[in-house]
Amino acid sequence: MGEAIVITSGKGGVGKTTTSANIGTALALQEKKVCLVDTDIGLRNLDVVMGLDNRIIYDLVDAAEGRCRVQQALIRDKRFDCLHLLPAAQTSDKSAVNAEQMKQIISELKPDYDYVIIDCPAGIEQGYKNAVSGADQAIVVTTPDIAAVRDADRIVGLLEQEDMSPPRLVVNRVRRTQEEDLLDVDDVVATLAIDLLGIIVDDEEVLKASHKGEPIVMNPNSQASLGYRNIARRILGESVPLMAIDQKKSLFAKVKSMLGLKV
Amino acid sequence: MAQALEVKQMSTEPSKNLVTIKGTKDGLTVLLDDQCSFDELIKELKEKMKKDKQVFGNGPEVEVKVDAGYRYLRSHQKEQIINLLEEAEPILVGEFHSKVITREQAEREKEEGGLTSVAKIVRSGQVLRIQGDVLLLGDVNPGGIIEATGNVYILGTLKGTARAGIEGSKNAVVCASVMAPHQISISDAIFYAPDRYEKKDRKPLFEEPVYAYIANEDVEISFEKARLLGQFLKKTAAQKENSLNT
Ligand SMILES: Nc1ncnc2c1ncn2[C@@H]1O[C@H](COP(=O)(O)OP(=O)(O)O)[C@@H](O)[C@H]1O
Ligand SMILES: [Mg+2]
Repeated sequence: MGEAIVITSGKGGVGKTTTSANIGTALALQEKKVCLVDTDIGLRNLDVVMGLDNRIIYDLVDAAEGRCRVQQALIRDKRFDCLHLLPAAQTSDKSAVNAEQMKQIISELKPDYDYVIIDCPAGIEQGYKNAVSGADQAIVVTTPDIAAVRDADRIVGLLEQEDMSPPRLVVNRVRRTQEEDLLDVDDVVATLAIDLLGIIVDDEEVLKASHKGEPIVMNPNSQASLGYRNIARRILGESVPLMAIDQKKSLFAKVKSMLGLKV
Repeated sequence: MAQALEVKQMSTEPSKNLVTIKGTKDGLTVLLDDQCSFDELIKELKEKMKKDKQVFGNGPEVEVKVDAGYRYLRSHQKEQIINLLEEAEPILVGEFHSKVITREQAEREKEEGGLTSVAKIVRSGQVLRIQGDVLLLGDVNPGGIIEATGNVYILGTLKGTARAGIEGSKNAVVCASVMAPHQISISDAIFYAPDRYEKKDRKPLFEEPVYAYIANEDVEISFEKARLLGQFLKKTAAQKENSLNT
């Protein structure tokens, strides 16, 4: 029986879909059986980031309403032995599915996979409730800015009321240089007070990768890729130290400190 | 027959003094016997008032205190006594004391006076509301609210909003290990932290634990070092005592 993990954040645009695609792909690279589920009905993205948007016939709403079996709606990613995607519907909205139906779909998927990764829409309404309803665990994604952290905190509060283990945290788009007006990772972790699962640097390769339809984690030479691989290893139970690179000083700052100037 | 006669004699016994009027330095106190039946008490009170009406005459208004001792009086009984006393024109009943309260009231007061401790983080969008005092073992995050009818003590960082004395108590305090609030209110006084664009850094307001309180007669919230909280609580307790006794 596999484990269902929901990737959520409250705020939009912080990297839920990117994180879902890359954690799923990283687990598949480790030869795990993975199913990605896009619950962002009406604004589906996960298929695009995975480069699988040309093959959709049935979707989540079709499966929920019984127009097809869940297995029929799955898209198989040919790059891996077992990485499947259940796409969201693009034509309906969040109310097209309820939490009971969602739970049913996830419980049908779990026996066939090691991990079911659920990409949650932004917000705390129906879409969020659906995404969380079938999950055993949650990963909260935030960027190091005040608004995103505020929303993540709201979500953590809601998740604590669910019957699941405490959520874990991914801080995305961390700049390599310490900037005055951004929170640092320590601030974020101190406020949210949940386990830090990993840090992903801000990396323009991420955007390029989704244009190509090839999640960044498949490119072994990028910093963001390494971050996602580490997260996957932590999900699998390995203890991997946090990357030192994440908050290293910029070259400019390094030179300044070499010259004995205060940074 | 003999028995009935005896009873009659007892109830008319004038020396029993079920109602005593006592003059003290703060004015007159009417002491009511708490062992006899309520009917007996009323009867004697009526007689006494008949006699004393002349004594008080049309003199200046006097405020009297009523002390019912260990008798519990329902509100209509209280009213009856007050009406009887005030039949004498100049008498005005000020306070009405009894040493007994109902179980419900006792429980309510216990709840209001008690301290509830809670170990959690009050997160954005959450409201923790407590009757009485609250001790939070954890933080109040930005966007979170903790509120109490009494005092709010936070063993952690206050980054969100704390409201003490939400039912009007002006003596309530908000005390936090680390004070970095968005907003604090005590009774209806409100403190707003400086707007974020006015602040140079994200440091807390103070370097050490402090409590927020309303200074004497003031409508503004002030802060004081937490180690002086004991003095403040003692002072407000003494004030409360005084106001009850006058
Ligand atoms: N680590 C990163 N570095 C750079 N860009 C990123 C990173 N993570 C996400 N992005 C970009 O941010 C945008 C929003 O990401 P997305 O995963 O769609 O967010 P969400 O699903 O939370 O709305 C996308 O354009 C994505 O490419
Ligand atoms: Mg998304």
